[in-house]
Amino acid sequence: MSDNGNVAVLGFGTMGAGIAQVCALAGREVVVLEESEERLEDGRQRLEAFLGEGVRREKVMEEERDETLARVRGTTEVGDLAGSGVVIEAVVEDLETKRALLPVVADVVGEGAIMATNTSALSVTELAATVPRPERFGGLHFFNPAPLMKLVEVVAAVQTSEETLDFLESFAKEIGKEPVRTKDRPGFLVNRLLMPYLNQVVQAYDDGLATAEDMDVALEGGLGYPMGGLKLLDLIGLDVHLYATSAAYEQTHDPHLAPPPLLSRMVDAGYLGRKSGRGFHDYSDGNGGRS
Amino acid sequence: MGSGIAITVARAGHEVVVRDISQERVDEGLAQVKQLLDRSVERGRLDAERRDEALASTSGTTEIEALAGCDVVIEAIFEDEALKAETFGQLDEICGPEALFHTNTSTLSVTGIAAGSTHPERVVGTHYANPAPLVDLVEVTRGRLTSDEALRRSVAFVEGLGKRVVFTKDSPGFILNYFLVPFENDCIRALEAGMGTVESIDKAVTLGLGYPMGTFRLLDIVGLDIHKAVAVSLYQQLRDPRLALPPLVDRMISANHLGRKTGKGFYEYE
Repeated sequence: MSDNGNVAVLGFGTMGAGIAQVCALAGREVVVLEESEERLEDGRQRLEAFLGEGVRREKVMEEERDETLARVRGTTEVGDLAGSGVVIEAVVEDLETKRALLPVVADVVGEGAIMATNTSALSVTELAATVPRPERFGGLHFFNPAPLMKLVEVVAAVQTSEETLDFLESFAKEIGKEPVRTKDRPGFLVNRLLMPYLNQVVQAYDDGLATAEDMDVALEGGLGYPMGGLKLLDLIGLDVHLYATSAAYEQTHDPHLAPPPLLSRMVDAGYLGRKSGRGFHDYSDGNGGRS
Repeated sequence: MGSGIAITVARAGHEVVVRDISQERVDEGLAQVKQLLDRSVERGRLDAERRDEALASTSGTTEIEALAGCDVVIEAIFEDEALKAETFGQLDEICGPEALFHTNTSTLSVTGIAAGSTHPERVVGTHYANPAPLVDLVEVTRGRLTSDEALRRSVAFVEGLGKRVVFTKDSPGFILNYFLVPFENDCIRALEAGMGTVESIDKAVTLGLGYPMGTFRLLDIVGLDIHKAVAVSLYQQLRDPRLALPPLVDRMISANHLGRKTGKGFYEYE
């Protein structure tokens, strides 16, 4: 292992920016790879907006923000990742994209670097198989928004060594997270528990168990969940959940992971949740999420 | 549940008579009512005067005939559909024609329980979220034979206790247990499958999903024997494999690892 303090993050989207921020806040030098200057600029703005919000809420000091931003460098040249001891992949959830990128990055950082993927829906084992010395490859699954969510899943692919898992666990702790170890099975731990519940919520709503509002009120008031299931789906995005649960279903054929027909219909209709103004609740102007 | 409901109703200013099958159980129940109210006073949630009023308006009996003058009867006995149905049948002979019959069942059929009464139109499901004095939520369920009038009066009564009413169909587990129990079983199965440890799965649930308590902490409080009863009841009605009891639970029950009450469940207690 050659953890020299330098972290490479692949992808400057929502997750990539959040992960870069968390690593840089903890004092790591971070280089973020993107495919275009435009996307680098978008990512940079995400990072600044999030840290700015942290300053506004007095969670981050101004000086800390400036130092953190100074520790994050963007690049479109994979060669600039040379010298990184740790690589965290957070590009789009597409197997071919990841499969094409990972061996190229592995070639640049060398066999001593620890490599991890932030995938939530793909097989870590399949991604590990794309790099030389796959035992140094594992899953490091952050939750959105990464700077705020304490939990990180440390995922053991079939090839991942104990040494790599120990490293990823201590790395997660060092950057202020609470790691939990789990195996590379569809959904890992959190999403494996969440997806069947969300599917059940959709099916129960379709079956007329209760109104959308009453279902959410019951789950929040009666079970103390931070958000009712239908509201949570609207926040996650119905398309995002449809993709995740379909991927898990394909790998398991577990009927509880099969997307309920209403979910697919709503995605077909463009009712994706908050981001489209309508999901199980209505978010159009002046209607703060009523059903 | 009975003592929690009694407190809730007494604190809203009603006279409450609690009936149980033996004097011993009545005494235990009333002692629990006092203990819970005292704790609320200690924690500054209730002033002493209101506690005394609530205690003064709560009495106990072993005689079912003592319920004769009640406007509302709330059944919170053991989860046994035949027993609940039979109890409402007996109450038909005792209570006036206007009395409302509420069942606090969490997993059984409101319609099935109502069938024991010669006036099933007056039977309504009112499932109080646990612990009843602290959680202001009640699932209200109309059985297939419940009248509009009984439902309307029941909602007014429950809302008068300061509770938020949610309406559910008369289907097994209503909303709360229908979603909670399979989720709990999923957590137990994740443990069986080696996806994590008791501690890490609880951490995933509290930190990853933001739930107020880890599933294994919660199951230890509920009791594994109670969890089994609820899961078996729901499974028998729905035949959904997520509701089927994971084998680990039976093993734990055989070992008397029922949770907090026996000093050991998923966790150990002093």
